[in-house]
Amino acid sequence: MGNVIKKLAVGLVVGGALFGVTRALEFPLVFQLMFVAYALLGSAVFILLDAPSLKPMSGGKSVIALVAFYIVLCVVYVAGASMWPQYDPEDEKGKIDKILKPKRAATEQGKAEELIARAKALDEQVKALSVRLKALGGDQAPASQGTGGSAAAPTSTGAASGDMLKVGEDQWQLQECYNCHKLKGEGGKKRGPELDNIGSYLTVEEIKQKILDPKSWMAEGFEKEYEKGKMPDKYKDLMEEKDVEALASWLVTFKNTSINTPKPIKKK
Amino acid sequence: MKTWQRSLMALFALFAVWGGAAYADAPGAAPVEFPYTGNRTAVWIVAQLHILFAGFILGAPIFVVISEWLGYRKQDPRYDRLAKEVTKVTVILYSMTALTGGLFIFVLLATYPQFTTWLINHFFMVFAVVYPLLFIGETIVLYMYFYTWDAWKGNKKARHIALGVLLNLIGSITLFVIDGPTSFMNTPVKAEGVSPAEFLATASIWDKIFNYSWMPLNLHRLVGNVTFGGFVAGLIAAYMYMGAKKEEERAYYDWMGFVGNMIGVGALLFLPFMGYLLAYELCDYDASICPYMMADQLSMFFEMQGAMIGLIFLASNYYIWLSMKRIEGVENVRMTVLAPLVMIALPLVMTKVLTDYPVPDPRSLAFLLPLLLAPFLIGRFIPLTVSARTVIKVGFLMVVVGDAIWLTPHGFVPTGAKLVAELELPSDWNFLALMPAKNSAAFTLVFVTVVNYVIYNRAIGQGTIVWGKIDFASQFVLIFLAFSAIWTMGLMGAVRSLLRKYFHTYNLLPDFTAESFTPTLAYSAWWITAITVVFYLVVSFAILVTLRPSEAKGHAPEGSPATAGAK
Repeated sequence: MGNVIKKLAVGLVVGGALFGVTRALEFPLVFQLMFVAYALLGSAVFILLDAPSLKPMSGGKSVIALVAFYIVLCVVYVAGASMWPQYDPEDEKGKIDKILKPKRAATEQGKAEELIARAKALDEQVKALSVRLKALGGDQAPASQGTGGSAAAPTSTGAASGDMLKVGEDQWQLQECYNCHKLKGEGGKKRGPELDNIGSYLTVEEIKQKILDPKSWMAEGFEKEYEKGKMPDKYKDLMEEKDVEALASWLVTFKNTSINTPKPIKKK
Repeated sequence: MKTWQRSLMALFALFAVWGGAAYADAPGAAPVEFPYTGNRTAVWIVAQLHILFAGFILGAPIFVVISEWLGYRKQDPRYDRLAKEVTKVTVILYSMTALTGGLFIFVLLATYPQFTTWLINHFFMVFAVVYPLLFIGETIVLYMYFYTWDAWKGNKKARHIALGVLLNLIGSITLFVIDGPTSFMNTPVKAEGVSPAEFLATASIWDKIFNYSWMPLNLHRLVGNVTFGGFVAGLIAAYMYMGAKKEEERAYYDWMGFVGNMIGVGALLFLPFMGYLLAYELCDYDASICPYMMADQLSMFFEMQGAMIGLIFLASNYYIWLSMKRIEGVENVRMTVLAPLVMIALPLVMTKVLTDYPVPDPRSLAFLLPLLLAPFLIGRFIPLTVSARTVIKVGFLMVVVGDAIWLTPHGFVPTGAKLVAELELPSDWNFLALMPAKNSAAFTLVFVTVVNYVIYNRAIGQGTIVWGKIDFASQFVLIFLAFSAIWTMGLMGAVRSLLRKYFHTYNLLPDFTAESFTPTLAYSAWWITAITVVFYLVVSFAILVTLRPSEAKGHAPEGSPATAGAK
């Protein structure tokens, strides 16, 4: 027992020291606590190393010990995994839906679904008209008169020019460009160039060219990334033409000269 | 060609054509809706169970045949008995592999009929001809291998070992073949300037199989299967040790547990590097996979992986520690002081070197190889030594430090989009969250384990090992290792599948269902635990059914290797 107390005390002293040092170095609280947890883990390991031998078990006793051990393992693993910060799938669901909507619409099944949806909308309108006609005393009017109304018009006419920038910003989020490029002080892990001043260097057409063919332009200082083809060449297949246009139109508005956006060099 | 050969070939061709026609004519009926779990989780459960059984039946024969060969060469009957007992369990689990494999296809066809048909059409020769033929071949050879065990001994033993080698050859080819479609779903063929769909239309089946992640996945799974098989052999030994009534049985199963753990750990040492290779190729294929995996939606999955790997290394070294305790004369074993010094210096030096010369720059080796080899090459010329106990204790300290480095994240957030200063590492310390630090942490764990095994070997050489007298806690360590290895396989399997994001086949075939999002780590952990428990129940049942009756009757020496001249 004395051994356990001694090692626990050492663990607490080391943990306390780590807490103090990380606090002095201005680590966030969560990291300070994490270092204390590491010290306590070390303490637990050294307590286990000098723990007395476990007496052999047999028969029912060993079965009970085994089952209890499995239950502990299951609880610890599920609880351990649940304690880490959890990604909220709701953040992603909307994005995926927006990305896949045009693709789904392009499939045979998508076309069929769209037709069914339109037929349902028409049916609803017919019913509503019938009710109105009944209310007006015209219950002899044929229900089919309601078909072909304005609801049958296509709902999507493309982004209006005023909404173009909003669509562009949406695309920045949907395609997760922020994972590699910093913009407005957010995102980027130095994988790709910071883009706050990209509008001073490239036109809409040139940005479009870079998105669709990443080998067409190279950012100065990113030679290694360019050679390795770090920027994926998948956007020409994943994005709609109008979305690329919108993203480029939005990016070209960034002309913050105080940010050192690397100079693009034409390669193709 | 003989008549029966032609008939057999015609029969296979008939099956292939019929199979293809049946899939091609798959009706456009709506997919079923699995209650409670949903379709994706239903596929996940069945696929993961199938992979666990398949992993064992492919991994176990690799060390079974090595064990059989060692038994023959050393004339030590324990190796032969180990090989035969693991093969007995393998035979039972082979049926479970086939059963879950069939179930996997049925569930896949019912839940994702269009995608399944599409995939089968692209790999028609694989699914309809090559894979079934290999599976049938493997079945025949496995049963031959098992049932000729007692008949082919003495001067026929070499023939039996050759059969085991053939079994492994077919098993490995089967794994490589089925990895084709699996890796294709992650990294389908592509070419610069051509859309994936266009390129796919002209690609040959070999182009589709030989994709970016195929060989890294083959290597990762091959090594992973041996690790997993070794730990399950340890589990078998632990169960049998706990149930053993005689001293000699206890001694044998103590030895078997040690060998199983050694195989598991031996292969485990390579696993982080194989995993790194796979991740490297995936990132090379599409750089956007990397942040999704390490910094965004799946970043906390990797935190959990770090915790699991850390625990596995701690447990496997703890097992060595417990094994050392029962060696008489271990207190006299000493080692050069360079060993603990290198252990302590390694994380720091390696992080610095790998930051200056990132992987795969070979210049890093100029600094690291002399450091790593110093205790073994120049240690003998330095008179200062420390006790084995001290070296192992310093090793444990460094395993904790290695775990700590591996686990330290860039930020305590589930996605980079939510990163704020209060949850982020200070910029001066950000190197702790980068790959050079993570690689040095992994290498520290590996190096400490290697040194511990070197010490263990010295202890065996200088002292006397008393089999059957190991601390009973060691049996729980073996069980823990098997459970944790299976759990980690489940976790990383989920990560590999989730890397496809909202695609069935990455960037090629979108998954339009409402379930094509990244699940939470907690949700995944529930299912991984449930799958592990189900697998454990089946394996435990297989062990009890196959090995307990023979153990109860007392082991007959049927598996003992006889001398080469014996009949």
